[in-house]
Amino acid sequence: MTVAPERPASLVGARVRRVNDPRLLRGEGRYVDDVHVAGMVHATIVRSPIAHGVLRTFDASACGALLALGPDEIAAATRPLQCVWLAEGQRQTEVLLGDRRVRYVGQPVGVVVALSRAAAEDAAELIELDYDELPTVADQEQALRDGAPLLQPEWGTNVAADFRVGDDAETVEAAMARAARVVERRLVIPRIVPSPMETRGVVASWDANLRELTVWSSTQTPHHVRDHLATSLRLSADQVRVIAPDLGGGFGSKEHLYPDEVMVSLASMRLGRPVKWIEDRVEHFTATMHARDAVHYARLGMDEDGRFVAIASDVIGNLGAHPSNVGTGPFRISGSMLPGPYRFSSAGVRVRGVLTNTTPTGAYRGFGMQEAAWVRERLVDEAARELGVDPVELRLMNMVREDELPHTTPTLQDYDSGDYVEGLSMLRDMVSKREVPSDANPRIRRGVGYGSQVEFTGLGPSPVQKIVGFHLGGFETGVVRVDPDGSVVVSSGVMGMGQGIETTLAQIAADKLGVPLEKVRVTLGDTKVAPYSASGSIASRSMTVGGGAVTRASIALSDKMRRIAAHQMEADAGDVELVDGVFRVKGVPSTGVAFGDVAASTWLGWDLPPGEEAGLEVKDMHEPANISYSYSSHAAAVAVDLDTGKVHIEGYWVTHDSGTVINPMIVDGQVMGGVAQGIGIALYEKMTYGEAAQPTTTSFLDYLVPLSGDVPDLVIGHTEHPAPHIPGGMKGAGEGGTIPAPATVANAVAAAVPEIAGKVLETPLSPGRMWELLHEAGLHDRL
Amino acid sequence: MTIDDTVTGVDLCEVTVIVNGQLRRARTEVRTLLSDFLRHDLGLTGTHVGCEHGACGACTVLVDGTAVRACLMLAVQVDGGEVTTVEGITPDEGLSPLQDAMWAEHGLQCGFCTPGILCSVEGAARAGENVGERLDDLLGGHICRCTGYQNVRAAVRLYCAGGQEAGR
Repeated sequence: MTVAPERPASLVGARVRRVNDPRLLRGEGRYVDDVHVAGMVHATIVRSPIAHGVLRTFDASACGALLALGPDEIAAATRPLQCVWLAEGQRQTEVLLGDRRVRYVGQPVGVVVALSRAAAEDAAELIELDYDELPTVADQEQALRDGAPLLQPEWGTNVAADFRVGDDAETVEAAMARAARVVERRLVIPRIVPSPMETRGVVASWDANLRELTVWSSTQTPHHVRDHLATSLRLSADQVRVIAPDLGGGFGSKEHLYPDEVMVSLASMRLGRPVKWIEDRVEHFTATMHARDAVHYARLGMDEDGRFVAIASDVIGNLGAHPSNVGTGPFRISGSMLPGPYRFSSAGVRVRGVLTNTTPTGAYRGFGMQEAAWVRERLVDEAARELGVDPVELRLMNMVREDELPHTTPTLQDYDSGDYVEGLSMLRDMVSKREVPSDANPRIRRGVGYGSQVEFTGLGPSPVQKIVGFHLGGFETGVVRVDPDGSVVVSSGVMGMGQGIETTLAQIAADKLGVPLEKVRVTLGDTKVAPYSASGSIASRSMTVGGGAVTRASIALSDKMRRIAAHQMEADAGDVELVDGVFRVKGVPSTGVAFGDVAASTWLGWDLPPGEEAGLEVKDMHEPANISYSYSSHAAAVAVDLDTGKVHIEGYWVTHDSGTVINPMIVDGQVMGGVAQGIGIALYEKMTYGEAAQPTTTSFLDYLVPLSGDVPDLVIGHTEHPAPHIPGGMKGAGEGGTIPAPATVANAVAAAVPEIAGKVLETPLSPGRMWELLHEAGLHDRL
Repeated sequence: MTIDDTVTGVDLCEVTVIVNGQLRRARTEVRTLLSDFLRHDLGLTGTHVGCEHGACGACTVLVDGTAVRACLMLAVQVDGGEVTTVEGITPDEGLSPLQDAMWAEHGLQCGFCTPGILCSVEGAARAGENVGERLDDLLGGHICRCTGYQNVRAAVRLYCAGGQEAGR
């Protein structure tokens, strides 16, 4: 039985309240815009209003600002930002600051500082700017055509990288040729804006005396930001301190250093004053990385019995105006994870990353895997429709079985542990218990759809990151200390951004050390005190990699205290137990030395066993041996209004396995939030560009995200197959809600309205788009 | 108007307002939004700014008892009035019943949208409205990007049922 076990006596697996919530609920959170430093002034960023051209004039002489830095001054004072995820042969690997060639609306070209944000915006309006405009292209397939405007004319193409993942083309074609049936579709995943509720922002403060730069930044990756800031500003790493305060969400969009954040830091160095910059929401829609935006020409081959043989895709990915920090990474991961939970003898993907005159695309919850799930799970449902079989049965028949794990996919993923069949079977049982609405309205159609996925979490072994060209270390360090008074401090390089990692790391330390949760303080987000974390909180890795380090460090520290207590009681360490804060010799209740007394004496260096070091601090560096593969299956029940095109989600079910669960309340919360974002992708969200590559969805009135009424209460079932290679057994939990949700909703829509099933190839299935599909299918003839 | 006028304050005015039960007086620019006035002139940073175009609801506060988006009002408009922010619906120690229900049900993750939600629900409850019946309506004015809303709804239901003891 793998259904998540109850562990009543343990803090691991306990549904405890989050430790930092009272502060946030009382309005005492400290987000970056709440940081106030004496003498602070305010910046605004000057951005290109055109999508392609050359900035001929930047004249700030009459603007009246405290400081205005134009492109030439910025370029002269900075080094380019290095992209960290590089594809084979990638033609562009760095991003210039202060480039006079502009390639997207929103590209930063200058920074203006004044006494208030409003005054800085006024001053920016008074800067004289003159551009020579160039022709534009926003769509990646148009950018591939002969004669398309070129963003880097010297390349002679807009293709920044062209590579394969998995089997080579010959192997894939040979496998497809052997298939009895091949389902082939053009599937599209549009451009998404991650949209955390808190936009980006920094407060930069240059201390000219100490020659130190302190930057408060709303970031998921404080050390990454520090390293890149130091390089870009020609400082040494020790001169830069990055502090990430409370984060108002990130979802991937805050995983690196942006050019405008360097400009604000440079402004502080020039002025010798603290400078604050807070991105506004309209700005956010063009200045912060977008995500997805991929076209897949995909094929699923199977034998005459419906057994999958091969899966392949030709991916045309829109990189935007330049490769982002992660560049083609999401498109690559779409390829790596395309096989999902199913057996294939061959799988291979060609990826082309294409430049266009749009905001660069990068990381967002689901990172390439939501796209892979969209492609694969739609193809599976299309195959089931063509074969006339039940889509759940087709999935179950093709899933890698528990006894086949570990399993290496043709795309070289070493699936570790789990039971995908169990998860989907359990889901089907959950769905079968639903109450079907007895609505007699013939203009409402109902259907249930399914989707399954395996997720790449816990990035990742550093050697794997080297193989895929991701220039960041993948290990995490945990430092656990018991102070002389018995209180516990946990330091980690991962970052809290709302996912609750402060609480779950505290649960682990408290559990292993045998102290109450309230005794543990978790400190994160300050590069001056946190252990080095190159990758930070991305890729569902905080608990897996960071938590693994804290697990081992806590156990080692607990063992040390037990040895010391045993020595002080003249007993064997194996006979010592910790009961209610007192170390005792088992079976001898009269003995006892208090936890706090052991802590105090160890920090004095008194009464230690021979060879034992004084002090109670353990540092553990955790380099995972493998990726951790979480998985989930989703089901949605939808009602489609044939007359309005509105899709209403009436029920939603999830089975989820993320290895050992530290706090089921928090994991459920991650699933719920992830599904909501997936529903947004399925039904509402799409960033669009119009004429001359002008963005046309730059507010929450144009770019719609789900509201409460759009997201039903989910029914969630957990299974728990620990990661065999992770101390504690945890796998990532942050993205499995988002990854299969759009495909699941679409499969439900296709099941509800079979007449349009073959056309459900692109999200969002907004009322407008749905109405068109329904109309084209002749479902409005009655009117 | 030139930039010098802006920064030297020709358009400054004085706003007198009762905020969270205290009489507050501050000089601010006529164009200052209520959200910026609360945050930057009065230092009440519990009110968060998510979109500045009235769509997300993060900056919701109570003005004369009614929930409003503070980014869609000017500070001068509340002159002589009464404003309640998240700080004003928070007890000196601990949490209010609504806040405690949000904590119990994991009704927040990053917490950025939370003060606005608290003000909307608390405002409706104080006005004697049936919060449980108006749940969709009340939450419909708030974007939360983290929770998927399910636990926010659970928290408000728990609060309506009388809190942790009554609800469980």
